[in-house]
Amino acid sequence: MELDALAGALKLVGYGLAAIGPGIGIGIVAGSAIEAMARQPEAAGVARTTMFLGIAFTEALALIGFVLFFIA
Amino acid sequence: MELILAAAECDPSVDIICAPSNVNELFEFREAIWTIGGFPITRTVFLILAVAVIASALLFFGLRKKSVIPSKFQAMTESLVSYVRDDIAIDIIGPEGIKYVPWLLSVFLFVLIGNMYEVTPGVNFPVTSRMALPAMLAAITWTVFVIAGIKRQGFRYFTGIIWPTSVPVALRPLVGLIEFFSILVIRPLTLAVRLFANLVAGHLMLTLLLVSGWVFLSSIGDIGARAGIGLAWFIMGLGIFVFEIVVIMLQAYIFTLLSAVYVQSSLYPEH
Repeated sequence: MELDALAGALKLVGYGLAAIGPGIGIGIVAGSAIEAMARQPEAAGVARTTMFLGIAFTEALALIGFVLFFIA
Repeated sequence: MELILAAAECDPSVDIICAPSNVNELFEFREAIWTIGGFPITRTVFLILAVAVIASALLFFGLRKKSVIPSKFQAMTESLVSYVRDDIAIDIIGPEGIKYVPWLLSVFLFVLIGNMYEVTPGVNFPVTSRMALPAMLAAITWTVFVIAGIKRQGFRYFTGIIWPTSVPVALRPLVGLIEFFSILVIRPLTLAVRLFANLVAGHLMLTLLLVSGWVFLSSIGDIGARAGIGLAWFIMGLGIFVFEIVVIMLQAYIFTLLSAVYVQSSLYPEH
């Protein structure tokens, strides 16, 4: 078995592991935002903007995993 | 078409994954079509210049007449501009966000039109899926928010990051180190990679599904009824096509929103 091919497969596994945490995090962020919008529909605009911000910051770890996929 | 044929060189009994021969292509510009005054014009560069022309033409023709009862085109352009001004710049940065509207609108239109190439028939190539472009946009954002911080707070902008006075003294070195990396390194990096990764993923999905659907369907004479699987892939590709239009607008919005948030956090560090 070629070592290079194994390293490539490990990179894929590494990216998959890096995506678990942000996946759960984005789920929590979006779920809470929906709850906030359902409770206070008049504040939906603020909740939506904050939700996108929360998602963007939570995504960071997955994106770092994506970068490591290329450079590792 | 070439993508599918290139993968045929890979022997599944030997290789674990059939990777494309060179992923570095995503980070490079291709060979030039023309050379104008020493500057090579590749297809990507041509499309980037076309973005500037399209964005300028949109704003020029959209806002040329300024009639009280706007035409449909004028109403669309005005709502685009007022969305960036009111809902992004003033909502996020505050009243002085009006100063940053020209930059934010340029970034928004550039990213939006650059992304729109992905679903434009005949082009089908988002210029933002070459790493050089999001990296450059993120570098501009980095420069803007660092300069905004220095103008507002002077040198205390950097000392405020490294030595945050709002946390207990014992934690300050640790929090300062984390803040330093997260603000000056991770922020521009994730800003660039988010745009790049989303567009590359969408482009690859569309290419793989639509091209393989087409390859299967067009080889119906050779493989008979099994070509029907191409129909399923083609339909799935068209579904992803609609989904990608949403992603395109969302990514342009998020890029602009985050740029505004970073400027805001430089201007008002206590928030």
